[in-house]
Amino acid sequence: MKYQEDMIVDRRNFHYTEPDYTRPVLQIPDYFSQRFKNKLTFLYSKSRLDLIYPELERILKVYYAHKTPQMIEWEKSFDPENRFTERDVILITYGDLIRTPNQKPLRTLSQLTETYLRNVINTLHILPFFPSSSDRGFAVMDFEEVDPNLGTWDDILELKKDFKLMFDGVFNHVSSKSRWFQEFLNQNPQFLDFFVVFSTKQQLSPDQLRLIVRPRTTPILTEFCTLNGKRLVWTTFSQDQIDLNYHNPHVLLKMIEILLTYVRRGADIIRLDAVTYLWEELGTSCVHLEQTHAIIKLFRDILDAVAPHVAIITETNVPHKENIRYFGNGKDEAQMVYNFALPPLVLYSFQNENAKKLTEWAASLEKPSNEATFFNFLDSHDGVGVMAVQEILSQEEMDMMALRVVEHGGFISYRANPDGSLSPYELNITWFSAINNEDANEPMELQVKRYIASRAIALVLMGVPGIYLHGFLGSKNDADLVIEEKSTRSINRKTLNKKELLRSLENPETTTYHVTRQLVRLIEIRKRQRAFHPNSPQKILKVADEIFGVIRYTMDHQEIILTLTNVSSKRVPLTINLKAWGILGNHHWHDLLSKRSFKTENNQISLEVDPYQILWLKARNGNFRILD
Amino acid sequence: MNFPTHLMNNGEVVTIDVPRRLTSEISGELKKIMKEFLEQEKYKIVINLEKTKYMDSSGLGAIVSKIAATRTKGGDIRLAAPQQTIIDLLELTHINQIVKIYDTVEEAVKSFKE
Repeated sequence: MKYQEDMIVDRRNFHYTEPDYTRPVLQIPDYFSQRFKNKLTFLYSKSRLDLIYPELERILKVYYAHKTPQMIEWEKSFDPENRFTERDVILITYGDLIRTPNQKPLRTLSQLTETYLRNVINTLHILPFFPSSSDRGFAVMDFEEVDPNLGTWDDILELKKDFKLMFDGVFNHVSSKSRWFQEFLNQNPQFLDFFVVFSTKQQLSPDQLRLIVRPRTTPILTEFCTLNGKRLVWTTFSQDQIDLNYHNPHVLLKMIEILLTYVRRGADIIRLDAVTYLWEELGTSCVHLEQTHAIIKLFRDILDAVAPHVAIITETNVPHKENIRYFGNGKDEAQMVYNFALPPLVLYSFQNENAKKLTEWAASLEKPSNEATFFNFLDSHDGVGVMAVQEILSQEEMDMMALRVVEHGGFISYRANPDGSLSPYELNITWFSAINNEDANEPMELQVKRYIASRAIALVLMGVPGIYLHGFLGSKNDADLVIEEKSTRSINRKTLNKKELLRSLENPETTTYHVTRQLVRLIEIRKRQRAFHPNSPQKILKVADEIFGVIRYTMDHQEIILTLTNVSSKRVPLTINLKAWGILGNHHWHDLLSKRSFKTENNQISLEVDPYQILWLKARNGNFRILD
Repeated sequence: MNFPTHLMNNGEVVTIDVPRRLTSEISGELKKIMKEFLEQEKYKIVINLEKTKYMDSSGLGAIVSKIAATRTKGGDIRLAAPQQTIIDLLELTHINQIVKIYDTVEEAVKSFKE
């Protein structure tokens, strides 16, 4: 299958460093202009539109003047239905997770990924690489600069030679050390309304406070001394992360400028971090309000208008039903949504050696549209969020899952409930340690097999798979770092020495050696199968409690893959009646992994699945019919 | 032996005394002792931290290494008499939200009756 990315085009040449105003300026089509105006009216009222819209238009024109003719030409054949394909696999990493003496970490990352991952993964999510004062990059001091400790914009552009890039849009808050907030402290009139400010605690009533939903137990208001006295500012996450006030249209316009700066700097995907909390409205929960959705939709419209190849992904650790609302109607909001229910459900399945809950949930997943899909991750720089499964697992099941994580050397992070009690918010543990117990005294081969089986689930489900670097390496917990950095999330954020990492990659006695090789093999096989295109339909099989079964087939019904993953330590005999799953005909199945063949007789396939075995059975000839 | 143990409440509750330092050198032994008690169907365990002044991440992991296993059998692991440095560590890692902590061994043992 040929995709647009096959065209020989160097995406590094998509933007000029300076605008070219000798060309005709951008004329915004009426269709988009109207959409922009509708959203701005909803957010700020019609009476303020005359002040806001011309500035938005100016920002878009400035961006457009940076686009090169090469990009404008390339865009003409851009197909949003093939924005993501079976070839997409995203590696999540900090810019400085791998270090080597006397070299900027982004350069180290560039060298390693070019050597080892260029033909494996195709997208790099480099976690916030901007100057920051805390929270491992998520307290941004300057949105438009690269942290000099990591490298430069040129280093970012160099990575673009081989990979599509995902940038973080940390648009909910800024660092208390940022110039914007410092100007607020200086009471510069331009910045007085950039933040959500109160004079006294009494301005926020206990009833209003109780309604607010947030993932932290710290006070929501933080006191700062300004030129004109003490002020209390809204801090959803920490005292160092000051929420921006989107009620002020100048804040929104500023963030749109930054969004487009990221596009100019090479972003193909922009991850809207903590976007759930964007709009505050007293008397509400202050999470995923309609205004927040309107802002994301406005970002989408803007990108569709001037940079349609750039996608938005939302990161919202909230119950699954709320999470998928960020797809909008499938064509007007995020193109990709973190599939937050997947990690806890996969973990639960392996802990209990039973895939029933995972199967039931997966069967309920619907394709949002041919232009949007799920981001199927299992691990990230944060922990395993559990909010998404609040309505899927019982409290007892969640509590036991959390305790098992603690038994495996992990930790639990809590959030405050409206009644003041605490609930688990995320589980802090590396994925390898979550799936395997280091104290179990098991052979490494078994632990790796169990681990790869867990990862395979994210590779077969409808969507784009993502793997955190430590997950790719099969890293184990680093609890020492938790104590050193006083953060439970540090358990999965160990910085690696390049030389030691290279040694592990070549040493058959390490889990890293086996995990990386097996993952690379799975990904390489996956990338060649059109049935794994995010838009290829899926059917979830209910064949045995220990087996997670998925059928994927191409939209033209030419190719079909039946995937089976055993989440248990038992050998499971199976007879699958394919007719019951809408697959008719007698045909041969070829396991893409073991190369073994299986035959269907009377629409039935019989086989045994070994403990933690993965089977990717592809029908060898076209002698079948699929009923959608 | 680094971890003296005692049977209380007619053998229903086990207490394990932890030495001054609980670190990676001896945390494996604590895990092993707890595993053995579980094999003997002793699921109510009190970890006596009265003497413990220092605990590293490995020690911390050891004291909760059977937390799910005991609770699924109707038991629990409870901590007794931790010093402030240990309390700080338990709070930092949120372990204090998972395990019950008592001022004395007697109170911790008694709590299993409630």
